[in-house]
Amino acid sequence: MPYNIQPGVIGCAIEPSISGVRRSLEEIIYDIAQAALADARLTIDDIDGIVVAGNDQYDGRAISIMAASGSVGGVDRDILSTPSASEHAFVLGALRVATGQFRTQLVVAWSPTEAHSLAEVQRLAADPYYHRRLPLDELSSHALQAAALGHAATDADELALSVIAKNRAQGAHAYPDLCTVTANTDAIRASRPIRWPLREAMVAPAVSGAVAMVLAGADFVAERRSEAPAWIRGMGWATEASFLGDRDLSRAPGLEAAAAQAYAEAGLTDPAGAVDLAEVADDTPYQELLAYEALRFCPRGQWGRRMAEGTFARGGRLPVNLSGGAQTLNPVYCTGLIRIAEVANQVRGRAGRHQQPNARSGIAHGASGFAMQYNTVAVLSRMPTGALS
Amino acid sequence: MTSPRVGIIGIGQSAFRSRRDDASYPDLVREAVALAMRDANVEFDDLEAVVYSLSPDAMVGIGNAERLGVDAVGARNKRFLRINTGGATGISSVAAAYYHIASGACDIVLTAGADKVGECGDSQTVLNKIWDPTYERQLPLGTINMLAMSGVRYMHHYGMTEEDMARVVVKNRRHAALNPNAHLRKETTIEEVMASRYISWPIKLFDCCPQSSGGGAMVLASEKYIRERKLDAVWITGVGHCSETYYLGDRMGTGFTADHADAFALRNAFTRAYRMAGITNPREQVDVAELYSPFSNTEFHAIDAAGLAEVGRSPAMLREGYFQIGGKTPVCPSGGTLCTNAIAVTAMMRIAEAALQVWGRAGGHQVKGARVGIANGNGGDHQFFGAMVVEA
Repeated sequence: MPYNIQPGVIGCAIEPSISGVRRSLEEIIYDIAQAALADARLTIDDIDGIVVAGNDQYDGRAISIMAASGSVGGVDRDILSTPSASEHAFVLGALRVATGQFRTQLVVAWSPTEAHSLAEVQRLAADPYYHRRLPLDELSSHALQAAALGHAATDADELALSVIAKNRAQGAHAYPDLCTVTANTDAIRASRPIRWPLREAMVAPAVSGAVAMVLAGADFVAERRSEAPAWIRGMGWATEASFLGDRDLSRAPGLEAAAAQAYAEAGLTDPAGAVDLAEVADDTPYQELLAYEALRFCPRGQWGRRMAEGTFARGGRLPVNLSGGAQTLNPVYCTGLIRIAEVANQVRGRAGRHQQPNARSGIAHGASGFAMQYNTVAVLSRMPTGALS
Repeated sequence: MTSPRVGIIGIGQSAFRSRRDDASYPDLVREAVALAMRDANVEFDDLEAVVYSLSPDAMVGIGNAERLGVDAVGARNKRFLRINTGGATGISSVAAAYYHIASGACDIVLTAGADKVGECGDSQTVLNKIWDPTYERQLPLGTINMLAMSGVRYMHHYGMTEEDMARVVVKNRRHAALNPNAHLRKETTIEEVMASRYISWPIKLFDCCPQSSGGGAMVLASEKYIRERKLDAVWITGVGHCSETYYLGDRMGTGFTADHADAFALRNAFTRAYRMAGITNPREQVDVAELYSPFSNTEFHAIDAAGLAEVGRSPAMLREGYFQIGGKTPVCPSGGTLCTNAIAVTAMMRIAEAALQVWGRAGGHQVKGARVGIANGNGGDHQFFGAMVVEA
């Protein structure tokens, strides 16, 4: 581990699906920040710095961090913002703790869905000369990725249905009051095509959500005798090229690079054998398949066999997306940070209904942008050093 | 545990103009990156991470426009993230790059960005969208009338006059005339400033920064990396950020956290940076300052907040020549934000210019013997403040 001070996660709060109009965005952000602080048994006075992530276009504001800064306790505090991705706020918060110059960080991200059309908002992020007029939105880019993978791996289309069934069954167990999507393969096959090869029931509808995490350094944890944190044993983050035409969408080299960074820091050579669970990007089931390979859980030639064995399902050797993932609840912009918070909760033994028994370590993967342009990987463990489990 | 020292080893500034029709948005970023990498004598393969500096997407008309800059900064399959704290983005990005290295995660990091403010149509229309859609957006607030209100309060509290504001413009334009990278380089007079039309009282046209298009980049490295390769560098010795309230109404009247005349969070940001750098008496220890002042009146409360003057004394000290090149502590020897403002990188250029000064590489606007420099950036509705100390 290269860090000056080891950072860990000592508090989490996740609202993976917010319905109704009883709270303003500022109130939602305030509530989630306070809930994470309460989970860490801290108050805002204990927080040295804040990193937030919001998307101007989804929020309908320029510099959306401005309105949020009061809600997260930012007045008279050091606050930065990473609009590139919610998971990047975690990265920067962890780096700040790792300097030893900050003892704690509050990390917050949110994702409203009040925009008239999320697809139109996303289209504005396409380059204005070529891609914008296709028109390209994130779902279209994910569909191109799915088509490319389906062409390169002939069993991917069939396995994708199995991924959906697995994640939604797990999601129905994890969040029974919030889960509204079907896990029935026949119903999924029969749903209308939206972007070939994706059908309507192959993606979860966008929902509003919010997530917050409290990070602290080893010195603070020792001083406050915080409950066992989810120690950050390794972190990696990487981007792919902007133009889809410059990428082989049937592969995920950016994720491979991010995983290589994180695993090198954590000293991981056999990630699938070393950790107890994982949460990975799954806006489409094809993304989870790509993650199996790029995270070195198993090569594409073994996807079918491992899934048939139940390796990645609840009760299997390496359960993936016990929370149900974005296949169950997809608060678009903050989905990546939620993946990390879910793993942190598992490692801390605070995952609730979907807690993996004796979970001591896990891998989180968040992705953002067209066809997973940005990828972030975090290795979390109940053990600060030594073996992960 | 002491975190690793972080040095600046390369700086790139593109040409800043009202329009850069010759360069696309990624081209502008690349222009600055190429200059910084040449200055640092490094290749893309050397870089471990990139921090992308971009304030509101709306200014370039592309959502998450940093994605289009990935190849321009050579970040493919590398660590990459974007920072946005409005006008403070540039200094926040340098701070984020600093944290990459000070944490121990990386040894060499590029931070870069660009803006096309001059080609956005009207920056105030965009910037109106930073405010609350229900209450303040409809006034309509812009950054000019927001800071005009600050100017009025500064006049009320400390006796600043419009002529004092004009003196800031005259000083900074004189400095910019010496800086080939500045956008507005034509010298002016108090009479000319006073005769320019009102934009929002007491701010007149010549009291305003230009809308600039251009890019900026810096390469930062760990002390270990610098020593092993025997590189030339200057050092970031102090970093601090602090924020104010969002609602302007919370900065007026009595009993509130702070007064809109002042910049209390900027003062606190400098306090943090000074504490880290061991600066206890900035008036004696700081040789040069690049303070973020997009409108002439705001330079006064920035000087106050940086501790270079007792609060409210800066207009008088300016009249006495304290803050011009050749004075006790030159402020904005580059001409500052008042003469060049490509928002996404403006605050980065404040640090870059302070670094060039303590490096002894500032050319025609060099402050003789400068060893300790300070810089800051302001963003949002005068809400986010970053401060930094650089030393030879």
